[in-house]
Amino acid sequence: MSVIELKNINKYFGTGTAKVHVLHDINFSAAKGDLIVVVGPSGSGKSTFLTIAGGLQTPSSGEVIVEGKPVSELNKKQRDKLRLNQVGFVLQSYSLVPYLRVKEQFEFVRKIKPNGNLGHEELENLLNELGIESLVNKYPGQLSGGQTQRVAIARALYANPEIVLADEPTAALDSARVIEVGKMFKELAERHNKAVVIVTHDTRLMDFADQTYEILDGRMSVRKPTHITNNQFES
Amino acid sequence: MYLALKEIFHEKLRYSLIIAMIVLITYLIFILSGLSTGLAGENTQAIDSWGAKSMVLNKDANVNLNQSLITDRQAEDANLTNREAVIGQAPVVAKHQGSPKESSSFVGIKNDQFIAKNLKIASGHKVHNNRQVVVDDQFKSDGYRIGDKIQLNSLSDKYQIVGFTKDAKLNVAPVIYGTLSAWKQLRGMENTNAFGSAIASKNVNYNANNSQLKKYSIAYFISKLPGYSAQNTTFDFMIGFLMIISLIIIAVFLYILTVQALPTYAVLRAQGIPAAALVRTIMGQSLILMAAGIIIGAALTLLTSRMIPIGVPIAFNVPMLSMISVGLLFMGVVGAAIPARKIATVDPVQVIGG
Ligand SMILES: Nc1ncnc2c1ncn2[C@@H]1O[C@H](COP(=O)(O)OP(=O)(O)O)[C@@H](O)[C@H]1O
Ligand SMILES: [Mg+2]
Repeated sequence: MSVIELKNINKYFGTGTAKVHVLHDINFSAAKGDLIVVVGPSGSGKSTFLTIAGGLQTPSSGEVIVEGKPVSELNKKQRDKLRLNQVGFVLQSYSLVPYLRVKEQFEFVRKIKPNGNLGHEELENLLNELGIESLVNKYPGQLSGGQTQRVAIARALYANPEIVLADEPTAALDSARVIEVGKMFKELAERHNKAVVIVTHDTRLMDFADQTYEILDGRMSVRKPTHITNNQFES
Repeated sequence: MYLALKEIFHEKLRYSLIIAMIVLITYLIFILSGLSTGLAGENTQAIDSWGAKSMVLNKDANVNLNQSLITDRQAEDANLTNREAVIGQAPVVAKHQGSPKESSSFVGIKNDQFIAKNLKIASGHKVHNNRQVVVDDQFKSDGYRIGDKIQLNSLSDKYQIVGFTKDAKLNVAPVIYGTLSAWKQLRGMENTNAFGSAIASKNVNYNANNSQLKKYSIAYFISKLPGYSAQNTTFDFMIGFLMIISLIIIAVFLYILTVQALPTYAVLRAQGIPAAALVRTIMGQSLILMAAGIIIGAALTLLTSRMIPIGVPIAFNVPMLSMISVGLLFMGVVGAAIPARKIATVDPVQVIGG
């Protein structure tokens, strides 16, 4: 059963002659336990797709349905709540608050949302799993790129969302790290039973996907698992 | 508040600098306000100590005690009860060998009227004859002693200090209390029909029953003391401007910091952190910075007031300083309003995927 579904999504920016059609009739769904990778070159509409899926932007037409509920029926506050409780974002940069230690990143979430987060032990297990348990007292500025990304993933998972949305999580990582991060997302989907959606221009991540979609000029299609590595779209 | 404090403690140098600016401004405001209160006090202390509610002066004196002269004829129909007291005022220079000259204000009063009756003598005794005076404490700190025979202006007759009284300043000059006869002599009007400079009354509606005389409320009389209003207005303006400067400083700093941190705020919004929580953060920071600045500024002011030499007219009006502090906190809230708006309206989409 899919926890997130996009139905006939279209997105336009601008008006008149400046009007651009960024997403064309997107239909998409993801179920718990799935790792879905959406690949496409820069400017193809990946981030727009992801932000619409996460309720940050509204589509020009079509409907996003999260756990059976149309997002269009939610007001601003309810959408904040949706993102706080049901959707975890992992972003390329700035994901962490620069002046909070790693452990405080979680503490801050707990201040805002006291209930429904991972318990103390679950968090410790997650940190162990991600290999960042020794980093809890460090500030984001003291972490490497790979460590930052793992902390960001832990941060997104801490609030215990059903859906994890990641935008270019492997930007600025070398191949070894990409494989590591890919495995991590795969485990996340399987072991933690999350619906994980990654949008990226990094085709190396396709190896780990249960299903791969491709976006080209705002049109989405299913891509056969071809297992090509080190073949990236130009960015 | 969590984020607010964490950020301040993480960025110690940055926030210390902002607090330092606020400390300097608060300190300046407090000291100016202290000087303002102190100087105002030196203008009015003597008048305040009398407890009069109204003053009757010659109507052509332009509400100036120095310029006012009431004649016996004009005072003919004035009904002087135990709530009225006649004052004869004259600016004088007091001299005594070995002590500095004092530009003073001679105030001649009558022993059987309320000003003399209520005069608080700190040491010595009241005036018993025309050659005795009771003087303000400032004379004491300048080396004058009880028993000293002082010269007033260039009169050959000397006047003996028989007592000291506290807080007797009139228009910033120390007061010499003597008799009305002594006043007449100082003004060179011994054998004239001079009655006094003014009649002070504890009655708000006192009427001296003469068309040449006019009654003024004590507040109006004080506001017309030479230089008094101009001086207060000057201080009020300076304090007002400093308040506005504090507003601009806090607003500009918070704005710059906010703009730098916008990507972080955008991510937090994307993660579903309510805008209200982030707005509270910036408001909290502003209030913390202001409060820290005010507390340190107040401590410095206290320290300064302990070390300031006697004679500098500085006095602290705690309710007024509290009001100023509340005003500064309010400036902090106003100063945070623009950055708060920026945070509340940040679009998370802009930081995602770019
Ligand atoms: N707010 C916007 N206004 C106008 N055009 C936009 C806006 N956001 C994205 N676009 C355009 O939509 C297209 C897709 O952008 P985006 O979703 O960021 O692509 P990707 O993430 O695949 O690089 C680009 O051509 C981009 O210029
Ligand atoms: Mg993008």
